[in-house]
Amino acid sequence: MTGLMGLDRRVIGRWALTAAAALTMLYILLPLVSVIWLSFYRQEIPSFPPEGYSVHWYGVIAGNQRFVDGLLLSVQLGVSATAIGLAVGVPAALCLSRFRFPGREALNNVLLLPLMVPGVVLGTALYVFHVEAEIATGGNLPIIGSTLGLLSGHVLVVIPWIVRLVLASLAGFDRTLEEAAMNLGADRWTTFRRITMPGILPGVVAGAMFGFVASFGNLEMSLFLVGPGRTTLPIAILQYLEWKIDPSIAAVSVVQIVLIGAAMLITDRFVKISRVV
Amino acid sequence: MAAGATTAVSVEERGGSRLSAAALIGPATFIVAAGLLIPILILFRYSLDLYEARRFVVEGYTLANYIKFFSDDYYLGVFYTTVKIALLCTFACLILGFPLAYALARTRTRFKNILIMLVVLPLFVGNAVRAAGWMTLLGSRGMINAGLIGFGIVDEPVEMMFTEGAVIVGIIAVNLPFMVLTLQSVIESIDRAVEEAAFSLGAGPWHMFWRVLWPLALPGIIAGVILTFILGMNAYATPVLLGGPEFKMLAPLVFGQMQLGNWPFGAAVSFILMTTTLVLTATSGYLMHKRYRR
Repeated sequence: MTGLMGLDRRVIGRWALTAAAALTMLYILLPLVSVIWLSFYRQEIPSFPPEGYSVHWYGVIAGNQRFVDGLLLSVQLGVSATAIGLAVGVPAALCLSRFRFPGREALNNVLLLPLMVPGVVLGTALYVFHVEAEIATGGNLPIIGSTLGLLSGHVLVVIPWIVRLVLASLAGFDRTLEEAAMNLGADRWTTFRRITMPGILPGVVAGAMFGFVASFGNLEMSLFLVGPGRTTLPIAILQYLEWKIDPSIAAVSVVQIVLIGAAMLITDRFVKISRVV
Repeated sequence: MAAGATTAVSVEERGGSRLSAAALIGPATFIVAAGLLIPILILFRYSLDLYEARRFVVEGYTLANYIKFFSDDYYLGVFYTTVKIALLCTFACLILGFPLAYALARTRTRFKNILIMLVVLPLFVGNAVRAAGWMTLLGSRGMINAGLIGFGIVDEPVEMMFTEGAVIVGIIAVNLPFMVLTLQSVIESIDRAVEEAAFSLGAGPWHMFWRVLWPLALPGIIAGVILTFILGMNAYATPVLLGGPEFKMLAPLVFGQMQLGNWPFGAAVSFILMTTTLVLTATSGYLMHKRYRR
């Protein structure tokens, strides 16, 4: 009897759990669903229910230079920052996993630091740093608000993701494979290219994707670093929303959602996202 | 290329290994040290300077900016609001996030990967986009008000935008995925057999949760709580867009002060924000470890 009641309680418990889980899922997705919905309203004023549906807002934003430029700048920044991040981050992760030296743990923490520092503090610090650097160079180098300054900030944001995820995949990598390759006569570079790299590829791909997304979506830090007349897509969206909300900004948001969704799906083909997050 | 040439150096090979280790990690360390640590030191130096409207930044060694913050009711109010909202949102994320994290960790459907991607996607699309979604929902002619009026619950639209409630709802939604993903990974590592063992020994679901699952998941719970608290403290886009221009939390305050040109005060508020976050997370982590270590 008690056993049966215990089972009942478990069944009820499971239903309650599933319902609660579904509600939380709905809560997380609700803002995305509503913004996608708004982008198809026919009228400009976002009053619900809409008078009708249309896709013409997508045409409107394609002609808006601010959004197009913002998107281009964000993609350029994301790609360049990720490339630089990979070039310095993958070797750093290799070093951290292969060598034992005093201060190794501290170095690891330093490399993860940009994730810990709040975006606004990072932006403020980089801004005053750029000002000081420009003063120190006698104002000959335009640093404040320059694309190079913005890019250096984005590289900082990308590095921790790459180091972390490559380090994680190196932890599960069997090093005897490398020794076997070297015993069979492969040199170090060949061993890295043919054995190590394929082994840690999931971590590299995941690190690159997370790094790109962190850079692409960065808002707080970039706010301090963009120059006049040049903004990234998230900043363009924020500044528009501070003024008003309408279906055109919703359409811009949908473009961002689709781009990031696509990046996730492509990454998922290389490495299951559920295993790296 | 240097990377490839040195990767296969085994730990035993001491000759030259120090050099190759330095070559591997040097560039990344240089970028982070020069690009982050030095700027933060400069920022701290600025926070000790003075600001005069006519002369801009005046060099000095003074705690005046910090004293100003903690002796002014307006700034103290911003401080309390920020801490309060961060704590509230963290608590809500834990309660709302746990069931979903558990369901995701234990599900056997083949859609698991898709479900997890649906949690990650909102996280990746950025705070401004999600704030746009909430603006659509919460506006006076938005979906929620249309529903409330349609069902005859209210006659006039309820003012939901530009309120503290809107900010809280928005921040919880922003931080939930972080909590869910952190908890999910730790629950997944807990052997299902221990749950079955608790059940077969007569524990109900509630008992099983408190006596078995919670203690075992505690490291993940602490990690998730710390992460969401930090994010709540530093929220920028959500309070700006859903709270409106009058509503202030610490991160928007820093940006506002820097824009006004009062860099020393902006720098001081930056450090207050960073230090408060670090101290509160360290204390909560310590207390939770101590409380549940048996």
